[in-house]
Formats: sequence, C-alpha cells, structure tokens
Amino acid sequence: MGVIAPTKPGTAAEAALSRALNDELADKGFVVAQLDKLVTWARTGSMWGLTFGLACCGVEMIHCWMSRYDLDRFGFAPMPSPRAADVMIVAGTLTNKMAPALRKVYDQMAEPRYVISMGSCANGGGYYHYSYSVVRGCDRIVPVDVYVPGCPPTAEALLYGVLQLQKKVRRTGTLVR
Amino acid sequence: MSEALKELGDHIAQAQAGVVSKTEVRLGELMLETSADKVLALLAFLRDDPKCLFKQLIDICGVDWPEREKRFDVVYNLLSLKNNQRVRVKVATDETTPVPSAAPVYSSAGWFERETYDLYGVWFSDHPDLRRILTDYGFEGHPLRKDFPLTGFVELRWDDVQKRVVYEPVKLTQEFRRFDFLSPWEGAPQILPGDEKAGDKAAAPPPAPAPAPAKAN
Amino acid sequence: MSDVEIKTLTMNFGPQHPAAHGVLRLVVEMDGEIVERCDPHIGLLHRGTEKLIEYKSYLQAVPYFDRLDYVSPMNQEHAYALAVEKLLGIEAPERGQYIRVLFSEITRILNHLLNVTTFAMDVGALTPPLWGFEQRELLMEYYEQVSGSRMHAAYFRPGGVHQDLPDGMLDSMDGWLKQFYPFMKDIEYLLNENRIFRQRTVDIGVVSAEQALDWGFSGPLIRASGLAWDLRKSQPYDVYDRMDFDIPVGKTGDCFARYLVRIEEMYQSARIMEQCVKALRTVGGPVRVDDRKISPPRRGEMKGSMEALIHHFKLYTEGYKVPAGETYTAVEAPKGEFGVYLVSDGTNKPYRCKIRAPGFPHLQALDMMTKGHQLADMSANIGSLDIVFGEIDR
Repeated sequence: MGVIAPTKPGTAAEAALSRALNDELADKGFVVAQLDKLVTWARTGSMWGLTFGLACCGVEMIHCWMSRYDLDRFGFAPMPSPRAADVMIVAGTLTNKMAPALRKVYDQMAEPRYVISMGSCANGGGYYHYSYSVVRGCDRIVPVDVYVPGCPPTAEALLYGVLQLQKKVRRTGTLVR
Repeated sequence: MSEALKELGDHIAQAQAGVVSKTEVRLGELMLETSADKVLALLAFLRDDPKCLFKQLIDICGVDWPEREKRFDVVYNLLSLKNNQRVRVKVATDETTPVPSAAPVYSSAGWFERETYDLYGVWFSDHPDLRRILTDYGFEGHPLRKDFPLTGFVELRWDDVQKRVVYEPVKLTQEFRRFDFLSPWEGAPQILPGDEKAGDKAAAPPPAPAPAPAKAN
Repeated sequence: MSDVEIKTLTMNFGPQHPAAHGVLRLVVEMDGEIVERCDPHIGLLHRGTEKLIEYKSYLQAVPYFDRLDYVSPMNQEHAYALAVEKLLGIEAPERGQYIRVLFSEITRILNHLLNVTTFAMDVGALTPPLWGFEQRELLMEYYEQVSGSRMHAAYFRPGGVHQDLPDGMLDSMDGWLKQFYPFMKDIEYLLNENRIFRQRTVDIGVVSAEQALDWGFSGPLIRASGLAWDLRKSQPYDVYDRMDFDIPVGKTGDCFARYLVRIEEMYQSARIMEQCVKALRTVGGPVRVDDRKISPPRRGEMKGSMEALIHHFKLYTEGYKVPAGETYTAVEAPKGEFGVYLVSDGTNKPYRCKIRAPGFPHLQALDMMTKGHQLADMSANIGSLDIVFGEIDR
C-alpha cells in the first residue's frame, strides 16, 4: 500500500547496528544469527490474524485494521481463512450454538497458533455471564494466550494486546510450542 | 390520534362482532383481543378492510403469565402505512392449544412464529416449517418461560479427552444476585427490630404506616 | 428419452465467513452456480438478552440495547427510553430531545458508513472502507466525549440523556460537517459510476413494493422499493417534527437502489445534524427530567445534601417503579423500524421486553431474494440487507 519511504535509522544505536550488519554482509556475504531468535523474529513479524468477529468487538477489531490504527504495520494482517492464519482473535460473545464451530476453526489452524480473547464476553461471559445460552469465557473451549479487557476494548487496547502477544512469543522463544 | 383509534376500534368491533372479544385504547395504542380459532379471520380482515389496511405484520411475540389458566399471550403488532396507524392483537393460549399460523396471511409471520415457538413453546398449527430458530441445536426447554431459570440447565466445555464439546450441568462460581426490591419505595410499614410485639397489643388497627424514612421533595 | 435426475448440491456457508457480516450460517441448495433455496440458520449469537432484561432494573437494562445492533447503539437506546418514558408518563426536556436527535443522526451516519463501505468490500472494493472508517473514528470520538465509550454509550436514559454536551463540541461538529460533504462526494465518486460495483448490484435482489410490505420490510429497504415511509416523518418522536429533511425513495428495489438510498440518507442526516447544532446553541435548560424519583441528582449536589445521596443510592440499587401497562414503541433505526414491546407489572423490572429487530424480517426474506440468483450475488444481497447479528439473534 502506497510508497514506502526508505527508513531512516532513528537512533545512533540503530544506525551503528545497521552499519555493522551491512559491513558484515559486504565482508563475508552472510550473517550469523541464533536460529531461535531468527524464528521468533519471523513469527512476531508476520502474524496473520484470523478475523473471527462474533459480536460487538468485531467492529472494534475491524477498526483496528483500518486506516487510523492500521494493525498491518505490525505485520498483523487480516486473514479470513483459518488454514493460513496464526492468531485467532475471538472478538465477541461466544454462545453455546457457536462453540463447536469456534473449536472446529481453531482445530483447522496450523501450529504454532495463538488465541487472543477480546472483550469481557470472550474473557468470562461479561454482561451475559448469567445467560442460559452463553459460554462463560472462550477459554472453556480453546486455550487463550492474551486476554484483552473492555466492553468493547478500544482499538488501541486490541493493538496493545497484539503487542503483548508478540512480546510473549519473543519471550518464550522455543521452536516447538 | 386517540379518537381516530377509538373509532377504528369501534369499526372493527362492529364488523367482526363475533370475533373480537375486547377492544381497548390505552396510552394511545389500540389493542384487540380474540381467540385462537378466530385470529386468522381477524388478521385477514385487518389486512384487507379498506378502513384498516394493516398491510404490515411488524411483530409476533409471546408473553408468559404462569398464574393464568391460559398462560401465554401471543401478541401480533400490525402497522398500516396507508392510515399511519398501529394495532395490537392478542390471543391467549396454553401449552397444548395450537394457534393457527399467520403465514398464509403475512409471509413474514414464518420466523416470528418460529421464534415464539422456540422461546415459549406455543404451538402454531399449519406452520410451513416449525423448527427452533434461536436456541442451540438440540436445546431442551423454552427459555423465556417464567419457570425457566436464567442460567439454564447446561453449560459447555471442551473435553480434551473426548476431543469434543461436552454439555455439563451448570456450575456457577458465584450465584446470580437477586435482591428483593418489592418493598415499597417509601412509606414502608416501619417496625423497628424488637418492636414486633408492640404492634400486637394495639392489635385491631394494623400499625399505621410510619412516615417515610427519607421523604423527599 | 430417459429421465435425467437433477441433483442439487447442498452447501454450507459460514458461520465463519468474511462476507457473512458476523455469524450467519446458510445452508444453500444449489443447482450448479444457481441458488435454488437458502435456509439461514440464525441464533449463533443468541445471548438471551430478553431474558436477562427481565432480571434487571429498568436502568440496568439500557446497556443491553447498545449491544443489540452494535453498529447503531444509540438509536436502540432511544426506542427503549421512549418506551419507558411512555409508561412513566414523562417527557424529556427540550434540550435533551435535541441532543437525542443529534446523536441519533450521528449513529445513522455511523451505521450507513459501515454498511455502505463493507458492502463495497463484499463486492470487491477495498478503498471505501479505508476512507469511511476514518470518518467513523471521528464520529466515535463524539461518542467518547459525551459518554466515555466509543461504542456502547448508554447515553440515552429514560427521561433524557445522561450528561450535557462538553464545551466546544458544537464548534467541533461544525468543522466535522464541513468536511463531511466533500468526503461523501469522494465515496460517491468511487462507487456510483464504478463498473464493477454496478455490475454486481444493479438488478440483483429486486424486491417489489408489494413484497416489501408482505415480508415486513422497513427502513432503507422499504424506501428502496418505492414506498416513502419513514417513522421520523410519519410518527415523529422527540423533536423530529421540527426538523427539515427529505426522505429518499428508490425506484428499482435492487441492491443498487438500497445503496443509493443509504447514501442520500447520510446527506439528510448531516442536514438534521446541522439544524440540531444550530438549535442547541440557543436551547438551554436541563438535559434530563428534573424528577429525583427517576433521574439521579448531580454529583455536586450529593456532596452537600443527604437527601440527594439517598436518592442516588436508591436509584442505582432499586431503580424506579414503572406503572403497570404495556406499550409498543418504535423508532426509525438506521436499519429500519426498531421497536420495543414493553410490558410492565408495576415493579422495578420489566415483565417482558420484546425487541423487534428490523434485521429479523429482512434476513427472513433472503431466501425470496436470492432464489434464482448466482451464488456470488448472495453476498451482494446479504451486504445490501444490512444485517447485524446482535439484533437478529438477541
């Protein structure tokens, strides 16, 4: 999308790092890195989010991907197909009728896969906790990595949740999840 | 507005004398009552009569009154674009008495009746496709009846051993809190603790309602 | 010649599908690429709102209305507030009514922006949502300024609105309105003459006026079919009778007409907003009824007055009691006629609160509309119906 301006190194440290990298590449023709770090770098840099908008939070999720917040710049692109997605954002109330479908979609995703539970309904039923038809938290159905609170969480909150997930992936740093 | 509705109500009551059992205008809204076997005739009349022309069926819903013998009300809300008027038709029924489906009169009745059947268990005869619509596949009971508990009977969980979603009886970590607010807003018959017997001596007249604790305005 | 057995293919569409606008599940019977019959399975977002409302006091039930049709929250609060006010026999003060109309129209623009742009996305255009959502963000800031929440405001309460507008909001709205008209021209420029958009929408899903009546259509859908029906004009509530606006009416009743009606409605909504902004500069007074048995006292009052403190406590725990009675009150929500059938038995909780969602009969007619169309036209139809599952499933 659009013209990508050549990035300017922001700080002196960054400039030094990129100079060192360039020197090493020019000198030897290759760089050495730790494999696990490289893998987590790749993983965090291109997480594709499955658009699973169930209810109100789905609108905020779309907002997060649209022009103002632009989640794409973190490599977090929307992906409607579960087979190609890495992260599922459960955005909205999960009902009993929907739960088997949610699990089926989760099962279709390839490892490593992550789940962000967005909004109080997905976290624990929220405003609809005592209803006869609502699952009291989507962690009863799928394992959840990051919970984003709010009703609905603002797009910024979801953005923060995505950054937290990236941090988590970086911190875990294992090849096999 | 109200006079026009009254006139309309009289007109309907006259034309459908044996069908309409009660007409009432309250809060600027016209309400008709009829019985289950006659509702189709009334709806067709309301749709086609040149003074009514209620061409649109806005809504069908149920109301549960468990203490009544015929515990359900099926409420039809109609709208006339031509005359800019609304009318409400009520039919009382119980769990077993079917109400004839309004689908031949109004196409939009199909789903509304399915919903009423789903939530209340009101039976609609001759309905083209009377299935559950809103609740879960294989749901048991009719959730909007007053005797159905708010939290239902079952809840869902993924079972990692069976590799499928299983239903279990509801187990709440914290019960739903219901407070009794039916004590009056002001002027509750105030009996101070320890004073219960004091009133008995003066027995005959019930203790006069003490002044409100917080008489406002 | 021997008989040829034609077998229709049954296909499942959704519930997780980007064009399904939520959690719609369709079971479609297809003959090749032609849709023979489609059976929408709804209820995948059935949250039991109506049951929950019966267990909450009148004030606690307000936020459920935000969460029904989460694209146009305030209009639904409006219907509920009007219904409760009717039973209570009160009326919101004039300034409160103007604020309600102003925010109803903001909500209408919010809703139509989302619908028109995502509809364009369904049929293959990505730019309109990217532009339209920026405008939505600006409008949601107004939501945030008055209520503290971007979407679920709980701002319209029975008896008025919760708070007065913050300082400087009217000026900022003037500025927003000025840039909104050129923006709308841009959107029209993108879509009106767009060859792909026209090919995907013109003559798709035609609904005649007769059918629209029979299937219980309302809102932009009935207007696109050629019937000039708008509750804001015919049964005006609050101060709509003082507003000067037009009702756009479509001629053809197809998906394109529905799109055009929505576009024109946005211009009209902006017109109403202008009038409200102008009126609000002069109309003063309270924004909610001055009855301490219904609306809570101001925070400042509570610091000094014991009586105010008690009122506040009673209102937020027990709430108010509504006289027994029943009413069906409807407003013109962006999607159509949104009605609340409220039955009160004289206690502080609604006895029955039936929510009449406009999307429910609209989705019901999907089978009638798509029959004989190609599968690809179905997503155009769904997009033009403007369905949101929060209100359909409740």
